[in-house]
Amino acid sequence: MSESDALAHYVESNRLEHFVNYELVGKSALRVQRWRDQWKLKRRKPRPDSPLSPPLQCVAYMKEIMSRHYLEGRYASGVRKVAWVTSGAPTEPLQALGYFLVYPENHAALCGVRRKAQSIAEEAEHAGWSRDICSYARTDIGAMLSGKTPAGRLPRPDMLVCCTNICQTVLHWYRVLADYFECPLVLIDTPFLYDEAHDHEVAYVKRQIEDMIHVAEEMAGTTLDQARFAEVMQNARRGAELWLEVLNRSQNRPAPMTAFDGFIHMGPIVDMRGEAVAVQYYERMLHELDARIARGIGAIKNERYRVLWDNLPIWFKIGEFSKSLGEHGVNVVASTYTYAWGELAPMIDPNNPLESMARVYLHPILNRSTGHKLEAMKKMVDEFQLDGVILHSDRSCKPYSLGQIDQRDRLSKTLGIPALLLEADHNDPRDYSNEQGANRLEAFIEMMEARG
Amino acid sequence: MSKVSSIGIDAGSTTCKLVAIDCDGAIVGSRLEPTEPRVEIQMERMLAALRDELEAGPEAPVIATGYGRKLIKEATRNVTEITCHARGVFRALGRAGTLIDIGGQDSKVIQVGDNGRPVDFMMNDKCAAGTGRFLEHTAARLGVPVDQLGGRALSARGEEAITSTCTVFAESEIISLIARGADPDSILRGLHRSLVGRVISMVRNVGIVTPLMLSGGVARNDAVRTMIAEAASEEVVLPGEPQLMGAYGAALLGGTA
Amino acid sequence: MLRAHRLHPIEIWGPPHIARHEGNRHFQTYACDIVVKAMAFIRSGGIDATRAILVPHTCDALQGMGSVLTDFFRPDQRVLTLYLPRGRRTSDRDFLRDELARLSKTLVQVSGHEPNATEWAEAFEAEDAADAALADLYRRRNALAISDRDFYTAVRSREFLTAEKFCEQVATLPAGQAPRGGVGLMISGIVADPFELFDQIEQMGAHVAGDDLACGYRRVYSASHEHDPLIRTANRLMSCPPDPTCGTPIHERVEALQTRMRALGAKGLLIYDPKFCEPELFDVPLLRKHLNEAGFPVLHVEYEMGEGLPHQTLSRIEAFVETLS
Repeated sequence: MSESDALAHYVESNRLEHFVNYELVGKSALRVQRWRDQWKLKRRKPRPDSPLSPPLQCVAYMKEIMSRHYLEGRYASGVRKVAWVTSGAPTEPLQALGYFLVYPENHAALCGVRRKAQSIAEEAEHAGWSRDICSYARTDIGAMLSGKTPAGRLPRPDMLVCCTNICQTVLHWYRVLADYFECPLVLIDTPFLYDEAHDHEVAYVKRQIEDMIHVAEEMAGTTLDQARFAEVMQNARRGAELWLEVLNRSQNRPAPMTAFDGFIHMGPIVDMRGEAVAVQYYERMLHELDARIARGIGAIKNERYRVLWDNLPIWFKIGEFSKSLGEHGVNVVASTYTYAWGELAPMIDPNNPLESMARVYLHPILNRSTGHKLEAMKKMVDEFQLDGVILHSDRSCKPYSLGQIDQRDRLSKTLGIPALLLEADHNDPRDYSNEQGANRLEAFIEMMEARG
Repeated sequence: MSKVSSIGIDAGSTTCKLVAIDCDGAIVGSRLEPTEPRVEIQMERMLAALRDELEAGPEAPVIATGYGRKLIKEATRNVTEITCHARGVFRALGRAGTLIDIGGQDSKVIQVGDNGRPVDFMMNDKCAAGTGRFLEHTAARLGVPVDQLGGRALSARGEEAITSTCTVFAESEIISLIARGADPDSILRGLHRSLVGRVISMVRNVGIVTPLMLSGGVARNDAVRTMIAEAASEEVVLPGEPQLMGAYGAALLGGTA
Repeated sequence: MLRAHRLHPIEIWGPPHIARHEGNRHFQTYACDIVVKAMAFIRSGGIDATRAILVPHTCDALQGMGSVLTDFFRPDQRVLTLYLPRGRRTSDRDFLRDELARLSKTLVQVSGHEPNATEWAEAFEAEDAADAALADLYRRRNALAISDRDFYTAVRSREFLTAEKFCEQVATLPAGQAPRGGVGLMISGIVADPFELFDQIEQMGAHVAGDDLACGYRRVYSASHEHDPLIRTANRLMSCPPDPTCGTPIHERVEALQTRMRALGAKGLLIYDPKFCEPELFDVPLLRKHLNEAGFPVLHVEYEMGEGLPHQTLSRIEAFVETLS
């Protein structure tokens, strides 16, 4: 067989696999799974001992959506062009060009939730990567080297897109991936906003997005269809607007969902931003939240205190924290992290896509000054009527964590509410001490109780 | 005429070791003591005692290694523990391989090459976890003497996982476990597992070249040996005198053997 | 550029002997010494004699420092920032030019002086001469009868001397046979501290054949001859040798290191980093892998500034030298 024949055969057999395993069988199987999950949720007996209300019913759809995404990933190679992207990357043009997008951070978070992150990260550590680098990066590099993943199989990237608006670490991480996969790395360098965005910064980002589009078009062998692009932008905007509304519903007392729910339900807006399925999902979710609000159902049964969570979640502790805080009547109703994917919705302008994208992707909270982050937290304390703030001092995430000591001091002094700095890591359980953490949380709760 | 060809001194932070060898490289005498604060004075005394016992004069070269090696005035040369341990174990076991040395205050993994020289190495000497101290300190909390650690860990019915990698955090964890009524031997077993986990991590980093060899004070701990073999799925071999390997290697470097 | 605006820069790398705890009032323990010690230094009045502090943006830690200084600490001195782009594309150069234009406006406010074309030209002449003197210093290393310690003392005086004084100083270094005993090492990292490290390396029977240090070779800039002073400055900054904080791809770093190590007779690479430095840490395993394949052993050592040279550090380096001998 000649080389071009072999390649054609490879692509054909991949397409067939993709069609059969994903389109035909996979999607249906996941739909059935969702029916079963929904049925189980409906039939769930009330648990009087649990401080938590029953989970949101829509979570069955979310699982289906995310599983479908990862399932397609297994068969995407050779069928769709694959891009691995950072969570803050301007992916809308890639969506419009038909790329299959892999978000290594989301994958690493999935490993964290499933308690597999440590063993996977150890693969990277044994190959020489220090434990002092971001645990997402270690999990991802470890998965890359060993092939270990709870998500089936991740397709190799045809291209990497790295946007520094979430941190500078991603560039170093993606250079490692580029070395390993030997594929092009597109950099979108978004200058840090010490105050407001300047024109030259917007122009710079816009130009890099344009360059990205050229590279992506060439690789995909097509040009960007403007109508499709506009559609994706519309969906991105609508999805972000809906997500913001979902989060703002927690301004109600009691809040119908927790920030921990938010960490789980943010999957679609991060991984499927620009797709209609994300829009539909949040419409459904909003509907369910409104139904809860109408009936006065809170995410926890006895909401005594309302709290803000700053920084990434501690993925391997979400269930446990949810429950133990719930037992004390503490509802973590808001987080700066989930808010980041909604608060910029008004800036997304489908009529002026490139310019508005350049602005939007400069403004995520992680790319903003420590002072701005403090103001954002103060605003949330006010809007959500909060009694305390938990600042997760995430060892892996310097852009979020550096500045928290000053922020905590000011929250405590100027707002007069308890603010706890909790030392941990978002994915590596070795960097969290259960005993010490539990102790600090208890002290924090006692402080809120003492204030009445 | 003395048979002593050279003497090696390993001035470690926990124990001091002396080894005298003959011209064939066989060990003819040795000394081991816990390190005293004035190690130079201690060494003078130990050296004098060894020479006395072996009827050796000052002609035989003295090579020093270990933490306090630069303080030993009689030493004609000093060489790092890495090179000396590799040499000592290579000669004792007759083969290259991956050497794991777990001491009181540090642990090292050394890839020993075909000529007995270190090819690559990795050390853990800033953190107590992964060293003998981790076991001793936490075992002291449980009221178990050091020489019973391994045996009790191996004979435990169960195993309590210790997830903290920091000695201080591990102590809190153990207190918690005891409060909840966990079996002390099962806790010990978990502690050993944790230590071995750290060590295996370093081993994987350096890369396994069989066989795995063990030296240092903690080598005498059966549980550590067994668990390392399990975790690496490789046989683990021990020289006859695991604690003397550094001093032995130093002596070999001084002699013609 | 700073010179043209009548500002003289003094670089802070640490300083090593200041304790961290005042810095830890702002930054957690997992922030590096460069940032935590600088913060402690500022808190202790270290920059009282200055008009401004410039915090370049090359990593997350410096980002945090620039932001905390601006928003929370608010020293009397003006806090200036400079975002250095991570690519070497035309878009990066154009951005950097505009970013320097923005900085220039703030520099005028700090010094009260706006440079004219002649002043710019004079400033370039002086600084290009100093850059050339630094490059020349490296070229002449083997013909200088000075120890590695003295060599790096000279190199690092670029951090605080004026351009003229720096040129003067390097011109006075004694020519002759350089003491090049034993094994040649290439040392890579951010800053090699303390200077005693060089003495110790000498005692181990080795010498520093060359370096890839942020405070050393990575700042050997090439002159540009562009007419526009801002483009000229941007070009100069972007002409630096391979550097992970500037986004240099790993294979480029490996190529450059290999070439230099062969040319300078270095047998092994010592990567000597302050703890918690991500730009360095991410590259280490691949540098090691590729350089090992090329026949160069690599040792990675982390240190804490100001803690002297612990036995652990010296042991490792000594053992490494022994394996190369």
